[in-house]
Amino acid sequence: MADQKLKMGFYGITGCAGCLLSVIFNEDEILDLVQLVDLKAFPFIKEVNADEEFDYVFVEGLVADKGDLEVLQKLRKNSKFLVSLGACACTGCVPAYRQYTLKENYEHLLYRKQNNVEDLQPTPVDAHVKSDYYIPGCPPDKKEIVTFIKNVVLGKQPKPLDNPVCIECRKNGNQCLLDLGKPCLGPITAGGCNAVCINGGFECWGCRGPTKDMNLDLMINILRQKGFDDKFIQDRMRTFVGLKLPMLEKVFNVNVKINNSKPHN
Amino acid sequence: MSKSITLNHITKIEGHASLKLGISRGKVNVCELSSVEGSRYFEGIVKGRKFFEAHEITSRICGICSCAHVIAAISAVEDAVGYVPTYQTIQLRKLLTLGERIRSHATHLYFLALPDYLGYESALAMAGKYRKQLQNALNLMKAGNGMLKVIGGRDLHPVSATVGGWLKHPKKEDLKKLELNLEAVKEDAIKTCNLFFSLSYPKFESDTECFSLVEEKEYAMLSGRFSSSKTSFEKHKYRDFVKEYHEPRSTANFVVKSDHRYMVGALSRMDNSSDKLSNGAKKMLKKSPMKLPSKNPYLNNVAQAIEIVHCIDESLRILEILNIQNEPVEKIKLKAGTGVGAIEVPRGTLWHEYTLDDKGTITNANIITPTAQNLLNIQEDIRMFVPSVIKQKKEKIVLGIEKLIRSYDPCFSCSAHFLEVNWK
Repeated sequence: MADQKLKMGFYGITGCAGCLLSVIFNEDEILDLVQLVDLKAFPFIKEVNADEEFDYVFVEGLVADKGDLEVLQKLRKNSKFLVSLGACACTGCVPAYRQYTLKENYEHLLYRKQNNVEDLQPTPVDAHVKSDYYIPGCPPDKKEIVTFIKNVVLGKQPKPLDNPVCIECRKNGNQCLLDLGKPCLGPITAGGCNAVCINGGFECWGCRGPTKDMNLDLMINILRQKGFDDKFIQDRMRTFVGLKLPMLEKVFNVNVKINNSKPHN
Repeated sequence: MSKSITLNHITKIEGHASLKLGISRGKVNVCELSSVEGSRYFEGIVKGRKFFEAHEITSRICGICSCAHVIAAISAVEDAVGYVPTYQTIQLRKLLTLGERIRSHATHLYFLALPDYLGYESALAMAGKYRKQLQNALNLMKAGNGMLKVIGGRDLHPVSATVGGWLKHPKKEDLKKLELNLEAVKEDAIKTCNLFFSLSYPKFESDTECFSLVEEKEYAMLSGRFSSSKTSFEKHKYRDFVKEYHEPRSTANFVVKSDHRYMVGALSRMDNSSDKLSNGAKKMLKKSPMKLPSKNPYLNNVAQAIEIVHCIDESLRILEILNIQNEPVEKIKLKAGTGVGAIEVPRGTLWHEYTLDDKGTITNANIITPTAQNLLNIQEDIRMFVPSVIKQKKEKIVLGIEKLIRSYDPCFSCSAHFLEVNWK
């Protein structure tokens, strides 16, 4: 029977290991979950990792150097379906925000390059290869990962969620943080997280990415009315998903200094 | 006879690292441990951001110790403006730190370290014969993660801690449940100790100095002087003692103190503060094969197991006296200045430093993680260790080295840190 199971691999490129941990931290399900599939590779917790054809490869992290790109291209070649796992893979997350900071902020942190470490513009998976599925969020919702795996094992098509965070937030009976003057990005951010940050009293920073039908202008105007200046609003919106909001440049109509060249495609 | 060993992708660690080893005539002539993690430049990313944003951004340095980065960043910012948190806030931060240590140690011990000792390639492969032991691990991880969810709002990258207090306080009934959960996993912690006491560890003595924060009356977590058996200093003086330099091969920097390597982590904490462990943990320490002070890094696994017992006991102690009240977050009076946060986290002492201007904008940041401090020590330990096993088969040598590296529980995601090269 074993050869009928879906062959899966879990890999990390540059990142914080938090998304891979989110797989393992399904403490009640993990031991049974791995029985549902043919787990061929998971270098974070496995010594023996097959280098072969996968049905599904999950990738945590973003492309930050040449090594990442090589690994990613190889994984793409070796897999039928590639799943971007977590915010770094889906949007570039916080590390990609570097594209919107001044070069002088981190230039002094650069060190002498050797041939084995070569920085690339920090970019998500789909800036380089095709991503078949996205499991967004920083971190991704643990249960969403389990549901995804169960679905593909059963031959069901996983569906992305596009309702804004506000819908789940209202269901949970939270007080609206915008009403309290907090810069909450819930109205323009895709839900599926059960509004976990707002449940904990913290405003949404938009880590799951913008909804398809977001009203960006209205969101910006609300934040301006609450007294936030344009720099703050831009910084916030770009922290987790800046590369998925290229229109911000036009909206603010200001010259934001973006260093280096465009991400490759 | 000469041989060379290259481990291009060391598995079962957080992040990515490689090792290059050259051996000739019984001597190690090349030993290079490198982080091959891409650079993320967190210290540059937070520049220009507001004082209340640092912890949310720097939390992303590391998944497994995200609570640590949150608390260290908040502590540093509060230190910069001269704000002193309330007693209740400090207790909540301690709980967040303790819960994280329980889940982190349990994950490391069972999923990353144990398979080496039992001869398996992974914890998952052990599930047939060692299901019960894995269940102990999962119970502890679940209790730790559950604790972080109750206290911090989420287990990875917690949300409720903030500069000046706590955004949403845990409910009394949830804290009650938490107490019951922790009581229930005491047994798992003791079994973990017994299991790790029963393993056989290589005899090895690192030529190192063991550093950790030390407090007079408690097993230090959020405060204390950075101390070894020989010396101690106050956190604001860290730049005088901790010198940083770059290894050109690696994206992680190595840190040395007075040109001498040092070690941080559970073993160092135990060396310096074992008299302040909980009674339950002291009892386990007595039963353990470890004789303190110890400089055998393999025994860091034993120290971590004992710390799980301590963390559960200490959490229960805090929960018993914590009478949670609704304290609104305090407004911070801004002023320009620099602040340092130094706290004990699963892998050792974590340093965050921020400079703020009078509007609360971050103008400078410096972050030194435990693994960045341990890197040189791990590398030099490998250099010292290899000659003692040099006659063995290559696979045996590699296993010995991998066990050694993993015993430090290194996190190469965390260690990517950069500072201006300062060749003094």
